[in-house]
Amino acid sequence: MYIGTEQLTHTYMPGTPFATKALQDITFSLQQGCFALIIGPSGSGKSTLIQHLNGLLKPTAGRVFFAGQSIGSDKQALLGLRKKIGLVFQMPEEQFFAETVYDEIAFAPRNQGLTENEVEERVNNAFEKTGLQSASLLKRHPFQLSAGQKRLVAIAAVLSLNPEVLILDEPTVALDLDSRDHLFNLLAQLNQEEGLTIIISTHHLDHVAALADTALVLKQGQLMLAGSLDEVFSRRKALYEMGLSLPAVTEIMHSLAERGLPVSTCVYTMQKAKQEILAAKKRG
Amino acid sequence: MAGQSAAIIESKDAYFSYSGDGEPSPALSGINFSVKRGEYVALIGPNGSGKTTLLKLFNALLIPSNGEVLVKGISTTEEDKLPEVRRSCGMIFQNPDNQLVATTVEEDLAFGLENLALPVSVIRKRVKATAALLGLEMLLKQPPHLLSGGEKQRVAIAGVLAMEPDCILMDEPTAMLDPAGRHSVLNTVHALNRNRGIAVIHVTHFPEEAALAGRVLALNEGRVVADGAAKKVLTDLDLLHKIGLQGTTAGELAALLRLGGCPLPSHILNNRELVDNICTLAQNN
Repeated sequence: MYIGTEQLTHTYMPGTPFATKALQDITFSLQQGCFALIIGPSGSGKSTLIQHLNGLLKPTAGRVFFAGQSIGSDKQALLGLRKKIGLVFQMPEEQFFAETVYDEIAFAPRNQGLTENEVEERVNNAFEKTGLQSASLLKRHPFQLSAGQKRLVAIAAVLSLNPEVLILDEPTVALDLDSRDHLFNLLAQLNQEEGLTIIISTHHLDHVAALADTALVLKQGQLMLAGSLDEVFSRRKALYEMGLSLPAVTEIMHSLAERGLPVSTCVYTMQKAKQEILAAKKRG
Repeated sequence: MAGQSAAIIESKDAYFSYSGDGEPSPALSGINFSVKRGEYVALIGPNGSGKTTLLKLFNALLIPSNGEVLVKGISTTEEDKLPEVRRSCGMIFQNPDNQLVATTVEEDLAFGLENLALPVSVIRKRVKATAALLGLEMLLKQPPHLLSGGEKQRVAIAGVLAMEPDCILMDEPTAMLDPAGRHSVLNTVHALNRNRGIAVIHVTHFPEEAALAGRVLALNEGRVVADGAAKKVLTDLDLLHKIGLQGTTAGELAALLRLGGCPLPSHILNNRELVDNICTLAQNN
């Protein structure tokens, strides 16, 4: 019961002919320190749900809670909340506005009224965590960086708040494989070593599945499945009917199992797949 | 002209540098490559390898700083012929929101045609035919911003298709789409390539998408490092890893299994091939 919602409903443009129910009666709770995926096709309400978790939207009905407290609409309380729950938007680098990488990362801690020394410590700390090489990057204009570097800077700008929860909306869109792997390693490290709770919305499950332990599946604003990753991913047919697909490696294991090979289908990494297949071959 | 008529696009020793400081090496160096009518070429490479730059050269959005790019034999430096170059090589961007301009799907499909100053009757006919081809008839009166990502991307493709292009250039067209949207866009483009002989150059980060192409061109640091059949380029895992790319999941897993002593063939690209081969091995045991 760390972070979650109770019967959360959200309607965009209520009371107008354009009213759309983006979320309907969503109830779930996540544990502190978990690595959760919010999965669903486009338009299923993933981004709306994420914005509720950081108090950017107000429920039409129901409530959102964090650390035993309802997220209300009190401005001061919300400001405090957003220090603890960091949100990285989709394509966050499109929102860069500062002249240097340093200023970009320093923006949030400065806004908190920290001294310039404290700000510097926060910036260096956050920058270091992202594994970006060479401190000279801090002096460059954010637009001079590569796509992967920009994304990491955007994440550093949120990490500079020292959040307890890090929420990322489609964090790997438009990144190449190296940058994506780097990003996932960073998230795994933050989760395992620093105990950050990580929540990611995505529909590319291929590599993130190896890191996650929990999954929520949304479709047309409704929570269709929720539970451990193994539980949710075992519902292959249900996922398929929602227009979602399992990670490619998991898909291969399902096909092998269907053809009678005695392998587990709860497999999300290449190494595990290799072990399973080699073991099955020996047994067979 | 006649001898090379089959080539839609030719890049002859093309170089490109973005003017501006802090760029030690050009974005593209000495690109030689041509695309024939009806070919499907996947363009792969790490971020910053020059994929998008190359695509923009083919559409004359950028002009080579050295060397030459020819579209249907027309050099992209011939400014008075650029409308023809851009009509015959249409571009699809990653984010369809960046290229949908009108307030309804119908108007969006007509936009390019209106700019060609075609008669209204012709425009109506082409819009109707294009919408029918891509299954967009029911959406014609809808405002684009209310469509799903996959639908929007298909509208963007339809807008290009209405211009009756010889080649469609696509820059990561499925990056923002969910699996269902991805399938619909890929099916659409492959059908246009197969049935209408429209050449496709498709920039992608997804090895599984590249594996569907007939030919794969790999770029690294602005140079062509591989050019050949998908089966050949995408199974050269050493090369792919060296430039920071990966093969398909099936190909990578097959390689791991080979290392583990499974005698699997080296040409495996897709899931079905892998599953079939593993099952055959298991039966022979």
